Amino acid sequence: MAASALANTLCRNPTPFFLCPHLSQVSAPRTKIKIKSKCRPRILTKSNSILATYAVLSDPFVLQIAETLEDSVSSPLPTSSPPSPLKKLRDMSSESLLSHSWPSRKDEPFRFTDTSFIKGSQILPIGSPPHESSLLSILADTQLPSLVIADGYIVNSLSEFPALPDGVFVGSLSNLSSEAAMKRVLEFLSNFEGDLFWSLNGVGAQDLIVVYVPEGCRIESPIYLRYLSIEGSEDASNELPMSNPRVLVLLEKGGEVDIIEEYLSGDGSKCYWTNSVLEAVIGEGATLNHSYVQSQSLAAAHIKWTSVRQESDSTYKLVEVSSGGKLSRHNVHVQQAGPDTVTELSTLHLSISDQTQDLHSKLILDHPRGYSRQLHKCIVAHSQGQAVFDGNFRVSRYAQQTDASQLTRSLLLVPRATVNVKPNLQIVADDVKCSHGAAISDLEDSQLFYFRARGIDLEMARKALIFSFGAEVINSFTYAPLREKAKSHIAELLNPKFAASSL
Amino acid sequence: MAAAIQVATLHQLSRPTTAALFTLPSAPKDGIFTASTHKLMPSGSAGLGSNRQRFRRLCLRSVTASVAAIDYPMSRYRHDEDGKVLLEVKDLTAVIAESQQRILNGVNLTVHEGEVHAIMGKNGSGKSTFAKVLSGHPDYEVTGGTVAFKGENLLDMEPEERSLAGIFMSFQSPVEIPGVSNADFLNMAYNARQRKLGQPELGPIEFFTYVYSKLDLVNMKTDFLNRNVNEGFSGGERKRNEILQLAVLGAELAILDEIDSGLDVDALQDVAKAVNGLLSPQNSVLIITHYQRLLEYIKPSYIHIMENGRIFDCKLGRVQQLTLRRYLLQKFTMPVGRITSTNGFHVLLK
Repeated sequence: MAASALANTLCRNPTPFFLCPHLSQVSAPRTKIKIKSKCRPRILTKSNSILATYAVLSDPFVLQIAETLEDSVSSPLPTSSPPSPLKKLRDMSSESLLSHSWPSRKDEPFRFTDTSFIKGSQILPIGSPPHESSLLSILADTQLPSLVIADGYIVNSLSEFPALPDGVFVGSLSNLSSEAAMKRVLEFLSNFEGDLFWSLNGVGAQDLIVVYVPEGCRIESPIYLRYLSIEGSEDASNELPMSNPRVLVLLEKGGEVDIIEEYLSGDGSKCYWTNSVLEAVIGEGATLNHSYVQSQSLAAAHIKWTSVRQESDSTYKLVEVSSGGKLSRHNVHVQQAGPDTVTELSTLHLSISDQTQDLHSKLILDHPRGYSRQLHKCIVAHSQGQAVFDGNFRVSRYAQQTDASQLTRSLLLVPRATVNVKPNLQIVADDVKCSHGAAISDLEDSQLFYFRARGIDLEMARKALIFSFGAEVINSFTYAPLREKAKSHIAELLNPKFAASSL
Repeated sequence: MAAAIQVATLHQLSRPTTAALFTLPSAPKDGIFTASTHKLMPSGSAGLGSNRQRFRRLCLRSVTASVAAIDYPMSRYRHDEDGKVLLEVKDLTAVIAESQQRILNGVNLTVHEGEVHAIMGKNGSGKSTFAKVLSGHPDYEVTGGTVAFKGENLLDMEPEERSLAGIFMSFQSPVEIPGVSNADFLNMAYNARQRKLGQPELGPIEFFTYVYSKLDLVNMKTDFLNRNVNEGFSGGERKRNEILQLAVLGAELAILDEIDSGLDVDALQDVAKAVNGLLSPQNSVLIITHYQRLLEYIKPSYIHIMENGRIFDCKLGRVQQLTLRRYLLQKFTMPVGRITSTNGFHVLLK
């Protein structure tokens, strides 16, 4: 009886166990027994001695999620085995998962981001695509051709694309016929070690969406990926349906493409967890314009990874506007793989209810003459709203003549609104131009007065200024209809907030 | 000594009718100013008391009201005693809200419809503060006095209400507002005014047509409207932008705070031309400036001199008066002419 009680404690609260290694001697046998009974048959494929070590070090809660994820992806028909890259991804992810524990506030990357909301819920991976009829109402406003991804599954019947140039592929990995492209996919798939959520996505990804742009190919119209979250539970039910969309973008030498990612939800108050990953490999001299709009349900968890590898002379531009989710976190990792790269990251986060908006970005410069600009803006308009920013530039010893700048600006519109920003530069090279800055404030009195002196009342002035604060990022969207849509969406979200914030 | 000579110069230059004002009974005409010179010295002996009295009488007779002003003979809109009073400031005192440091020490000023007033004075004399207080700037706190605009208490109004009532203040250094385009900003302000007047608001396209016609006035190109308010504007562009706003919004009282600072000759002429174009018998302008050159283009009805938070005033005493005269002579290379007694220190420039 006592033993099972202890096992339960460990299960619910694994972190202390991890932080105190000496305890493992005592608790290991009990934990082992628990894991053995639940997880061993499915995940552990290596030799027993290694597994024993993993099992001791692994977090039971993580293993439990992994197990349910594996259940959900195992195909109902034993005949259809997953394509080899997907299998490789799952295997790699299962393995790396074993070395991760569920993050706590004591882990530096999650110091300000409380994930207990997810942990406290019962996670139910979504094992089947949603019914098409439920999608139609959400997509009614679409005029743009797009690829629809509902709960991590491609919905082919609703997806349409303008004629793509020869050799370009957009779609599910299972439809990828080109040998060369497949080879490249295998080469670059998951060539980066992310955190726990990265690995969970790898284990739970139902499909791999591939965007392949061959050498020298320039695509005029944007590739529009619309992610819908249909399945969701009621707020109080404590269940968290989870989807794991995964995209790989491969741009060969000289290719150029605009990718728009838009995350939508069917119902504004549904509870679900989208754990998404996008990997991009940008070849020599290629350009990727990445637009990312996240407007999910305000009760949802949204965790997203964007990992980018930039070859020499390549350009990566990210513009992000995130306003949804109870917990929303975007991890951006940009790795420079050659000299003369251009990287521009612009993000706008809005916290208009009791939500957390988090951006963790890391740019690693290992080659000379990289140019990078980062602008992060966030607006917190709720007393329990929070924004988190951790922006890191690492300029290694070889990255001479790097020109990098980073700026974060936050608007706190109500008392007790919180923002935690950590802009940081790690510079080893000695011939570089690097700057960073952070500003946290309410609206400027001098600007407000300028409006008022021209007869514009305070409320309207605040509205215009808050909107203009965000417009700097929104205006960087390369695709005009998206820009307009984002503007009206932000205006709509902020509208009811002005009355409260104008005090 | 020098001061006295200047006064004598004034006297000699003045017309006979005016000169009579200065001629005090029982004093030899040629000797009076020499005599008073001695009197003005701090070391002047008590024995010359009668002369001092005479000088005081001169002050009281020639300077009765509270406003010090210089009249241009060529002024387009001359002071009209019968004109409606637009702005009446009485004994206005104000402090900096944060430090409680006193800046305005009792300002008196009356502006009638159609008049152009200029306020000059040294740095830190309170000119800009006065303008900001009139427009309702939150950095300043009014501690005493009254301000009536068109008969209403201006001090009770919020800044936006003052603007809608018809006061326009052009900022000395307008702030940048990134993310708000000039056209949007003007449209917003214009529509706020239309709402107040109960007239239909203009949509972006109609408004563009309207504002387009005003661009020539300030000699600006169309792309000016698409740029963000004051962002990356040069000094000249900022000032032109202020005048463009004035042209679009209109105002019964335009307060132009150092609209000439940082402008080259061409820009100055453009700005002055625009302001002159906006003047009407109903509109009044209050110009705050350090430089005479602006006043060569915009002819004021009155020039006021500000010092230590007050507009020069005969009540300040004769030493200050002499300082004023010296100041006027230094400031204006043209000789100071007639001194009349009709409305305070009403000095005529030749």
